[in-house]
Amino acid sequence: MAGATQASLLLQKQLKDLTRSPVDGFSAGLVDDSNIFEWSVTIIGPPDTLYDGGYFNAVMTFPANYPNSPPSVKFISEMWHPNVYPDGRVCISILHAPGEDPNGYELASERWTPVHTVESIVLSIISMLSSPNDESPANIEAAKEWRERRDEFKKKVSRIVRRSQEIF
Amino acid sequence: MDSEDDMHDANDVDSLDDFYSGDTGMASDDGDGDYEFIDNDTDDSDDSTSHRQQQNYTILNEEDIRQRQEEDITKISTVLSIPRVSASILLRHYNWSVSKVHDAWFADEEKVRKAVGLLERPIVQIPNIKELTCGICFEAYPRDRMYAAACGHPFCGTCWTGYVSTAINDGPGCLMLRCPDPSCGAAVGQDMINILSCEEDKQKYSRYLLRSYIEDNRKTKWCPAPGCDFAVDFVVGSASYDVSCNCTHSFCWNCTEEAHRPVDCSTVAKWILKNSAESENMNWILANSKPCPKCKRPIEKNQGCMHITCTPPCKFEFCWLCLGAWSDHGERTGGFYACNRYETAKQEGAYDETEKRREMAKNSLERYTHYYERWATNQSSRQKAVTDLQQMQNVHIEKLSDKQCQPESQLKFITEAWLQIIECRRVLKWTYAYGYYLPEHEHAKRQFFEYLQGRAESGLERLHQCAEKELQVYLNAEGPSKDFNDFRTKLAGLTRGRCLVLHL
Repeated sequence: MAGATQASLLLQKQLKDLTRSPVDGFSAGLVDDSNIFEWSVTIIGPPDTLYDGGYFNAVMTFPANYPNSPPSVKFISEMWHPNVYPDGRVCISILHAPGEDPNGYELASERWTPVHTVESIVLSIISMLSSPNDESPANIEAAKEWRERRDEFKKKVSRIVRRSQEIF
Repeated sequence: MDSEDDMHDANDVDSLDDFYSGDTGMASDDGDGDYEFIDNDTDDSDDSTSHRQQQNYTILNEEDIRQRQEEDITKISTVLSIPRVSASILLRHYNWSVSKVHDAWFADEEKVRKAVGLLERPIVQIPNIKELTCGICFEAYPRDRMYAAACGHPFCGTCWTGYVSTAINDGPGCLMLRCPDPSCGAAVGQDMINILSCEEDKQKYSRYLLRSYIEDNRKTKWCPAPGCDFAVDFVVGSASYDVSCNCTHSFCWNCTEEAHRPVDCSTVAKWILKNSAESENMNWILANSKPCPKCKRPIEKNQGCMHITCTPPCKFEFCWLCLGAWSDHGERTGGFYACNRYETAKQEGAYDETEKRREMAKNSLERYTHYYERWATNQSSRQKAVTDLQQMQNVHIEKLSDKQCQPESQLKFITEAWLQIIECRRVLKWTYAYGYYLPEHEHAKRQFFEYLQGRAESGLERLHQCAEKELQVYLNAEGPSKDFNDFRTKLAGLTRGRCLVLHL
C-alpha cells in the first residue's frame, strides 16, 4: 500500500463504515462516485446553537497522500461564521499540515495528524459551529459582528439557517 | 583592540606627525625605507603571523561538527542518565546549549519532560493479543508489525513510514516529530526514524540534525560562501568580527557580508544598498538627460547638434541649450547652431533651479562614481588575484621549482605574497566605502585618511607588480637565475611590509 492506493483504500473503508453505521449530526457521500477523493457532507446545525436546524453542505477534498496530509473543507451552502472564509473554506487548526508550523508552537493535539478521519474532521467542524474561535478569525467581518453586535450576528445566522432548510 | 593594533596605531601617529610637519624625509620613507625597516625586523613580523593564528573562532568541517554534536549528546546523556536519542531531542529543544539543558532539567525535570515529549513510562499498555488495529489505516496487523513511540500508541509500519516521510520532506520541523495520536505529545526520535524510513529520508533527517546543530546554536554559523560546507564557531564577545574560512572566503561574523574591516557593518549595509539602489539611476537620468520641454520625456543627447526633435508622436523641435522652441532660433539669437542666450544667462549668474539641481546631481553622482569605481576595481583585482593564486599553486610553483632548482618549500614566500595581495585588496576596497561616507567637512581626518590610503595603494601596487610581472622573468627563464634570491628577499620584504596599517 503506497501513495494514492493507500489513500483511496483508506477512504473507501471510511465510506463503507459511514454508510453502514452513520454518525449523528452529519451524512457523508461522494460528489462523484468515480472519485473517492472528493466527498460531499451535509452537516446538521448542532442543537442549542445559532446554527440549530440548518443543513449545510460542504465538500471535502483529499490529497493523494492522505492521511499524511489533511483534506481541505469548503462550505457550498451559504455560511456566516468567524472561522469560515467568505468563500466557504473552513479554517481550523487540525486541518493545518504540521509543516506549516515548523517551530512547534501549536500543540501537537491541535495540528493535523494522520489519525484524523472524515468522522473526526466533521465532528471538529460541528464543534467549531457551536463555539467560534474569534482569536484567529478567517472572516474578520463575521468575527467583529460576533464580538460586538451579537444580535445582528444571530439574525444573519438564522437567515442562512432558514435558507438552507428551503434549499434542502 | 589588541596590542598589535596598538602598535600599528603608534606607527600611524608617527606618520601623521611626519605628514603634517611636512618632513621632506617622508618621501624616502615611502620608498625603499619602508621595506628595509620591515626586513630588519623579522621577529616582529613573525609575531604578527602567530598573532593572527591566535583566533577567536574555529573553522569546523562536517566531521568536526558531528564530533562536537556527539560529544554534547554524550555529556547530556551521561549527566542526566537518559538515552542518547532523548539527549539529542532535549539539546535541540534548548538550541544545543548544554548548560541551558542542565539548568532547565535540574530546575524542573517534570516540566521539561512534558514540554519536550520525553515520557518516563508508556501512556497505554499494548494489550497482549495476537493482532492489533492500526490507529491510522484501521487494518489489523500482528503485534510484531506494529510500532509505537515511548507512549505506546501502536501504528502499523506502513502508516508510520508515511507519517515520518511526510514530516521529513516538509523540512527541519521533522526534528520535533511527535506521536501521531492527537492527545499524545511523545517525541519521535532518530532511533524510530532509522527503523521506519528509507535510506534517502534517513540521510535527510541526519542532515537536518547536523544543520540544526549549527543553525540553532548562537555560537555557530555556516560560512556564507556559495558551496562551502565549513561552519564557524565564534567566541561571542570578541573584539574583531573578521572570520577567514578554510575555503578562503573571509566574512564578517556579525553581518555575514564579506569581511569589511576597517569599515563597520552599518556603513557596509548602506554602501551595498546604495550600489543596488534605484536612486543612482535616477541621479543619472537627472544628470545626463533633459526632459522634452513639451512632453517631458527624458532625452539623452550623446552627440550632434543642438537642434533636437523629440521622437513621435511629440515631434517637438527645441534647442538643447535653452530648451526654447527651435522656431525662436535664428540670426537674432546668434545663429542656428550657437544659442548664445544660454551663454548670456550663465554669465549673468541666472542659473535656474533645475539647472542647479542638475549640476548638483551630477556632482554627487561623480563623487559616488569615483568611490564606486575604485571599490569595484579593487574588488575585481582581488578576484583576479584569487584566480592567480590558484594558478600559482596548481601550476607555476612546480614549474618554478624545476626551473630555479629550488625545493617547493622554499617557494612558500610566493604563496604568502599572493595571500597578502588578496587581503590588502579587500581592505583597500572597503576604504573606498569608508571614504565615501567620511564627512566632507572633517578636513584633517579626510586628508590623513587619503594619505594613508594613498600609501597603502602605492605599496600594494608595488607588491602586486612584483608578484605578477617580475615573477614572470623567473618563470620563463631557461635555467636557474643568479638573482633569484634577491627576488625572494624583495618579494618577501614587500609582503611583510604590507600588513595594512589602516585601523580607522
